[in-house]
Amino acid sequence: MTRRILFNLFAWSIVLAVAFPLFWMVVTSIKPQFELFRRPPTILPETVTFEHYWRLLKETNFLIYFRNSVVLSVATTVTVVSIATLGAYSLVRFRYRGRESLAFLVLFTYLLPSVVLIIPLYLMLVTLGLANSILSLVIAYTTFALPYALWLLRSFMAGIPEDLESAALVDGASRLGAFWDVILPQLLPGIISTALFTFILSWNEYLFALVLINSDSARPLTTGVMNMLVSSFNIEWSLLMAASVMMSVPLIIVFAFLQSYLTRGFGAGGVKG
Amino acid sequence: MADVVFSNVQKTFGTFTAVRDLDLTIRSGEFVSLLGPSGCGKTTTLRMLAGLEFPTGGTISIDGKVVNDTAPGKRDIAMVFQSYALYPHMTVAKNIAYPLKKRGVPAAERDQMVAKAAEMLQLTPLLNRKPGQLSGGQQQRVALGRALVRDPKVFLLDEPLSNLDAKLRGYMRAELVELHARLGRTMVYVTHDQLEAMTMSDRIAIMLNGDLQQFAPPQEVYRFPANRFVAGFIGTPSMNLIDGELTRAGSGWRFCAASLDVPVGPLNDMAQPGPACLGMRPESLSLGAGEQMAKVLLVEQTGHENIVTLQFAGQIRLTARTTAAQDLQMGADVAFAIDTSALHVFGPGETGPRLNRLLENKSSETDGQT
Ligand SMILES: Nc1ncnc2c1ncn2[C@@H]1O[C@H](COP(=O)(O)OP(=O)(O)OP(=O)(O)O)[C@@H](O)[C@H]1O
Ligand SMILES: [Mg+2]
Repeated sequence: MTRRILFNLFAWSIVLAVAFPLFWMVVTSIKPQFELFRRPPTILPETVTFEHYWRLLKETNFLIYFRNSVVLSVATTVTVVSIATLGAYSLVRFRYRGRESLAFLVLFTYLLPSVVLIIPLYLMLVTLGLANSILSLVIAYTTFALPYALWLLRSFMAGIPEDLESAALVDGASRLGAFWDVILPQLLPGIISTALFTFILSWNEYLFALVLINSDSARPLTTGVMNMLVSSFNIEWSLLMAASVMMSVPLIIVFAFLQSYLTRGFGAGGVKG
Repeated sequence: MADVVFSNVQKTFGTFTAVRDLDLTIRSGEFVSLLGPSGCGKTTTLRMLAGLEFPTGGTISIDGKVVNDTAPGKRDIAMVFQSYALYPHMTVAKNIAYPLKKRGVPAAERDQMVAKAAEMLQLTPLLNRKPGQLSGGQQQRVALGRALVRDPKVFLLDEPLSNLDAKLRGYMRAELVELHARLGRTMVYVTHDQLEAMTMSDRIAIMLNGDLQQFAPPQEVYRFPANRFVAGFIGTPSMNLIDGELTRAGSGWRFCAASLDVPVGPLNDMAQPGPACLGMRPESLSLGAGEQMAKVLLVEQTGHENIVTLQFAGQIRLTARTTAAQDLQMGADVAFAIDTSALHVFGPGETGPRLNRLLENKSSETDGQT
């Protein structure tokens, strides 16, 4: 009994430690300016204001950055998931020379720290004439999200019995038809996890965005907000917190929407054994 | 109507040979079973016929056309998979309708055909469930339904009844035989249950380690097994197989093992003095009278008959079949006689060929030389 209580206490203290910064972020974003630096600080704001949100939306480039981030993340996610799904299918279903080494080589590129790749990638993108565009970031993020996505989907794909596809082929489906009718629905949980992973990665990425983009029209939220609100002289805390809250909202929505898919029991009991 | 011809078909996985030099001609409308122990290459053979596995040698033809390079969907076959392979995200009705849908059958017609197949397989109340909500036997029936809903040239069935309970299995066996009679379609039926193969097939192809051992009608396989493996594999309880010596006796032959010494019928040209194997069915031993003595080890009562295990001449074990009326005590000694007109003689080795002269080569497609 006491062990149980102790365990609960422990778990809750961890939850609090993790949740407190988030809580503080929200609280700071709705405090009026004068209340921000009061000592002792107020836990709950005495007056609630949304002026920071207003200012952010009305007077800054926030919406442009936000749109860039959405375009960027969606494009990266779609690209990565499409390529990785087909790649994983190939790695699992077809037998060809160097299949295993290919898979390991792909993973190996993932082990390389991305910082090492940033300069070569930048130079390459400049040569291609893509520097300073959202497309350049999509390409960059794809390079480091793809290997992991490929491995993730490969293991999901390997869990789909080959007989399912064989049955579809015998039933008169083409290979692509069997893939569409049978493999994809089975792979859905894998695709969703991969999509989540890629989306979060591209939504939060900072370093590449910082190096590859220096025009306001193409900046994503991460670098845009930092650029706008953090200078060597001043940090606009309340605006920063409001921006952070709004940056988190899409992720929370995406998670809430997809979580039910992730936990729903797909694929159970289709095959004996 | 379509005949199926395997000609010199070979399948290797890397260095492992799963099917070796298979020659098999299945006549149009025939019900053929592929029978053999686990891992003998039955599924591989079926998958090659379905187009899911490429033969590494030889040709397969359906209806006179070589189909080696024909896609599975273009072969006009239907298949029940050993693993069922039901589409988990589709309802039972959708599963059964899928092959129709892929072949462009209009929706209204499709529903009718699905309803008919479901009726036959007693699946009607389950049509809206997903495969995950079905028992193993129900899943198996759905898999059957998906194959039977169409009217293809050839039906391929990979152990379709293995997961049903005894009663339903009996029912489905009769149902399949009836269906075969009605449709007159060629059916290739994989099983490792010899009773199924014996009761349902026109001919049985018995395989071992990728080699075809015998291809003949059930009665012939039972009465004139092509080699020792077939002899031991077909029949329950299985044939008694005794290793011993073959010796010449005048113009005939005798077989000796321990204290057993019996004359054996006319043998063929392959017979040589030396090690050989004697086969006798449990029903060719009669207990209670005779010149041989054995000890009763075990009496298994099945109801209408008893299966008796005997210990003979120290180490030889024999199985005999008697009427339930015969009262035998375990541990007691009993006299027995051997019906010498019903003995089988095989060469040495696991697949030692049949040596009896009578009808030894009746079946046209035997492969006992391995
Ligand atoms: N893809 C594969 N790669 C390598 N070996 C394989 C492959 N498929 C089958 N085999 C081997 O080929 C042999 C025959 O397999 P198969 O599935 O045809 O056996 P089976 O007669 O159907 O047995 P069971 O009664 O257990 O289903 C087995 O030894 C198996 O291990
Ligand atoms: Mg099998």
